[in-house]
Amino acid sequence: MSTNRWLATGNYFTSYQDEQRLFFTHLDRTILSLFLFMLFVWPLLFSLSNKYMLVLDNILIAMVAIIGLNIVTGFAGLISIGHAAFMGIGAYTLASFSRTLGDSHVIITHAWPLMIVLSGLMGAVFGAIVGLPAMRLKHLYLAIATLSFQMIFSWTINFLEFFNQGQTIAISRVFWFTGKLGRKDHYLFWYYVLLVVVILSGFMVRNLLRTRYGRCLSAVRDNDRAADAMGMHPGLTKVYAFGLAGFFAGIAGALHAYVYRGVGFESFTLHHSITLLAMAIVGGLGTLNGSFWGPTAIIALELQVETLAEHAGQILPSDWNLATALKPFSFGLVIVLFLMFEPRGIANWWRIARSYTKLWPFRY
Amino acid sequence: MKNRKRMTVVFSLTLIVLFAFTVQAQAGETYKLGLSLAITGPTSDAGDPYSKGVEDYFQYVNDMKILGDDKIECTIRDDQYKTDVTKRNFEDFLDQGIVFYLNYSTGSTLALKKDFDEEKMPTIPASFHAGNLVDSSYIFLPIASYSAQAIGLAEYVANNHKGSGTPKVAMFLHPSAFGRGPLEDVQKAVAAGLKIEIVEVVEHGKDLDNTAMLQRLKSKGVQYVIGQTIQSPVATMLKDASRLGLVAKTFGEEGKITFTGCHYTGGNDLVSLAGPAAENYYWTTSYIVTSEPGVGTDAQLALAKKYGRDEKTANSHNYANGVMVAQVAAEAILRAKAKGVKITKESLYDELLAMNGMNAFYPVTTVGPVTYSKTDKAGVDTLQMYAVKDGVFHSVGAPFIPEYTGKIK
Amino acid sequence: MSYFFQLVVSGIVVGSIYALAALGFVLIYKSSKVLNIAHGQIIAAGAFIAYALTGMVGIPIYISFLLSMVITFFLAMSVERIFLRRLIGEPIISVIMVTIGLMSIIDGLIFLTPFGSVNFSFPLFLPQTLISFGGVSISWTQLVGVIVTFLMIGGFSWFFKKSTVGISMRAVSDDQFASMSVGISVPRVFGLAWATAGLSAAAAGVIIGNITGLNFETLQAFGITVFPVVILGGLDSILGAVVAGVIMGIIQQFASGYLDGNWGLNGTAEVLPYIILLIILLFKPHGLFGIHEIERV
Repeated sequence: MSTNRWLATGNYFTSYQDEQRLFFTHLDRTILSLFLFMLFVWPLLFSLSNKYMLVLDNILIAMVAIIGLNIVTGFAGLISIGHAAFMGIGAYTLASFSRTLGDSHVIITHAWPLMIVLSGLMGAVFGAIVGLPAMRLKHLYLAIATLSFQMIFSWTINFLEFFNQGQTIAISRVFWFTGKLGRKDHYLFWYYVLLVVVILSGFMVRNLLRTRYGRCLSAVRDNDRAADAMGMHPGLTKVYAFGLAGFFAGIAGALHAYVYRGVGFESFTLHHSITLLAMAIVGGLGTLNGSFWGPTAIIALELQVETLAEHAGQILPSDWNLATALKPFSFGLVIVLFLMFEPRGIANWWRIARSYTKLWPFRY
Repeated sequence: MKNRKRMTVVFSLTLIVLFAFTVQAQAGETYKLGLSLAITGPTSDAGDPYSKGVEDYFQYVNDMKILGDDKIECTIRDDQYKTDVTKRNFEDFLDQGIVFYLNYSTGSTLALKKDFDEEKMPTIPASFHAGNLVDSSYIFLPIASYSAQAIGLAEYVANNHKGSGTPKVAMFLHPSAFGRGPLEDVQKAVAAGLKIEIVEVVEHGKDLDNTAMLQRLKSKGVQYVIGQTIQSPVATMLKDASRLGLVAKTFGEEGKITFTGCHYTGGNDLVSLAGPAAENYYWTTSYIVTSEPGVGTDAQLALAKKYGRDEKTANSHNYANGVMVAQVAAEAILRAKAKGVKITKESLYDELLAMNGMNAFYPVTTVGPVTYSKTDKAGVDTLQMYAVKDGVFHSVGAPFIPEYTGKIK
Repeated sequence: MSYFFQLVVSGIVVGSIYALAALGFVLIYKSSKVLNIAHGQIIAAGAFIAYALTGMVGIPIYISFLLSMVITFFLAMSVERIFLRRLIGEPIISVIMVTIGLMSIIDGLIFLTPFGSVNFSFPLFLPQTLISFGGVSISWTQLVGVIVTFLMIGGFSWFFKKSTVGISMRAVSDDQFASMSVGISVPRVFGLAWATAGLSAAAAGVIIGNITGLNFETLQAFGITVFPVVILGGLDSILGAVVAGVIMGIIQQFASGYLDGNWGLNGTAEVLPYIILLIILLFKPHGLFGIHEIERV
């Protein structure tokens, strides 16, 4: 234990408990608390346009989903190309209530926290079921099992009349203590809800990694045979991982349904699964803070590229197709360049920045 | 040639910079509109010419000073067919204060339906899905819905069937709500007395071979296929059918199959995909085609030429589609202006609702007038049959209005 | 009965084309253990290059077919050189992600050309008649497709079995470090794997383009469509790709031929391969012909 609880410049751990602490220094805790406080307070100080509130909500939804994806792909090392389908399970859990009870039934508008948790549980159940092949499958073969699930999900939603054949199923606005939310409050309200969910999930995962099960995950990722020999059950661990990932995805899906006020199959396609994977990787797989960096970076990038393409479109004649082609091109290029030069994601920059400030003014 | 183009760009850039300062002094009002559609990504083959049609017509309105000193500023944004992005764009457009909104896909129109109603935003989507109009009062379809088109085709089949007995029909549908939408309405029309028999409903996948499917239809005695999907699967089917010698030379030829389809199955895109196999394909839409001489054709080609569009775009029916939608929007603004009302989304909505009877609007690129009222939110109700002869679409018969669309309501 | 045989024959024909499209995945995976998600885009690019050479420059289709294969060969090789060379030794998932990024880049490049949003079709160069026997018929395009598929697959099988380069490619797939130590240039092998995958992609593109017409969305979707084929065959087996392709083709034909329209089902051909895939994976986790990895702690 270093003598200074505020600034620790090195590793002074003398017990395992020390190593497992949530915050290494008081400074860490203070900065984080201040940062979270700012996140809650800024909307009171100045207001953002609906578009950007929606973008923020979208980023936060993606964060919840990515936290889940990071458990299965990052910590347990199982590539999942079906994460959007798990989100879809959550959203369609909500949608099936809307379908059977009507879109503004009390259970949807008033008991929304319950609905969100319920959607998460449904996601977890499906996650565990899809994870079952993980008992036998490995590597890319497992990835394809998740891909199959994605395809089967799309087909089912698209086919069944109960799910409106993939067309939008409306979800009504929810009630808060002040009454039914208005149009302007809608995004702000969900910003706060999402923020709480993200923070809770963040702490949950942070704590998870300190438990026996959390260590099981990385042990299984690094070498499942060795983990087996150490008395862990690799198969079950993987199924748990899928279940947990499904849980977060389900929550994200339900939140998506509430924010967008409807569930349509087009928001949960293979393309979205791939985008989620991109977010996780750009953020940095197997890190918690990567789950926050990834969605922020990718969505911000998308907006930047859109603005860029728009400016280009004003200058260039539209029959050159340059402005329209710019959007996918630069999006892909940034991802590729990023991975070429920083395959460990933004989380690695964060790590470097942190250790630099920690040790400053010394190099090491 | 390239150099000259670049020169023009540089030149026009300098002009823009110069004008930026001078225009401010004398400018009238600027009306903001928004269009969110798929220029890249799925269905971009329809979205790209559509966006160019919209862009060109508004440019034309501004250049010709049709609205006097007032200008239309339409932001066109690519959403790559993602509903979430469409929603974002719409919110952005609202923040910018648009008075009229143009949407694109079936999925996003249905997803944003509530927002249009809440915001009281008059909206014209490029999707003619009949379900768009359910529980909505601010969505206006530019032309007859897919359902009306499919019923129109079914009626055409019933009226022009030469053999004895009820004509046997198969439906060839896109595996989505977009494709399945009209099926129910056609079935209702049959129940209401339309003399056709739906023998089979086929939902296609990404098929590379339709031989077995066609043989099955043949053995079931199917004589007509009504398609509601996009061009590419139709092209594959037509190629197989023509190889099998199944395509009827004339409408309803005995022992062969006559292939017909709705708006998004046809047009020059189909001919360029299917080549000679597209021969004798029957297609219905409310737009004119540029292979038929007429005022509309001349206007469309002149517009495309004025803004330097290539030949494929100029002749695309989706270009006509975009031009027409822009025309309706501009016409609503023009009419509101003529009345001296302030241009707001409310006044434009009222103008659209008043577009009927004597006030019906005749865009040159459609085969009939645009009529909107409280009860009729589909613009051009008239349909025109086209058939491919020697690689181009020619009109068959006179424009018609399907009868059973009214009867099944 | 002839309906049944027609389904079988159509299934085999479609399946061989799937196999050709799947071959690209296998070739890349075999040597570098990378799953190239952008393969569909390369297939589309190959078809567009062939069309551009024929329809716009005016080269006879047979020559432009070969030319497009050559161009795509070098294109894919340079893709590997520019984007993937740096990533040798990085975790596989980063590399897969790069191919996802590549997908967007190639999309962007194709949207620069008219091919992104305008449809075209190849000029007819094969007889438009049918080849029929006993009530079963296939078209010339399909026949040529099958022949090209089997030529390519035969060629590649020989290449991997007999030629020095092919053997070195297999060696690399077996153990990169060991092959480096015996003097094989691993980067060169990777480049070659991508190049040959490009070659097969161009062939697949031209054949599919001939059947469906040249529509970017349709063509690039085949990258994902053949996923189940690749897995079913085992990611690294050329023979597996063929067998799995044919199995998938027949399953799809049977699904749309017998299931669709009955019991209220429709469009089952899209989903059935994935269901079967899932079942097969449970019993044979390495596909039908994949190499069983023996793991030691």
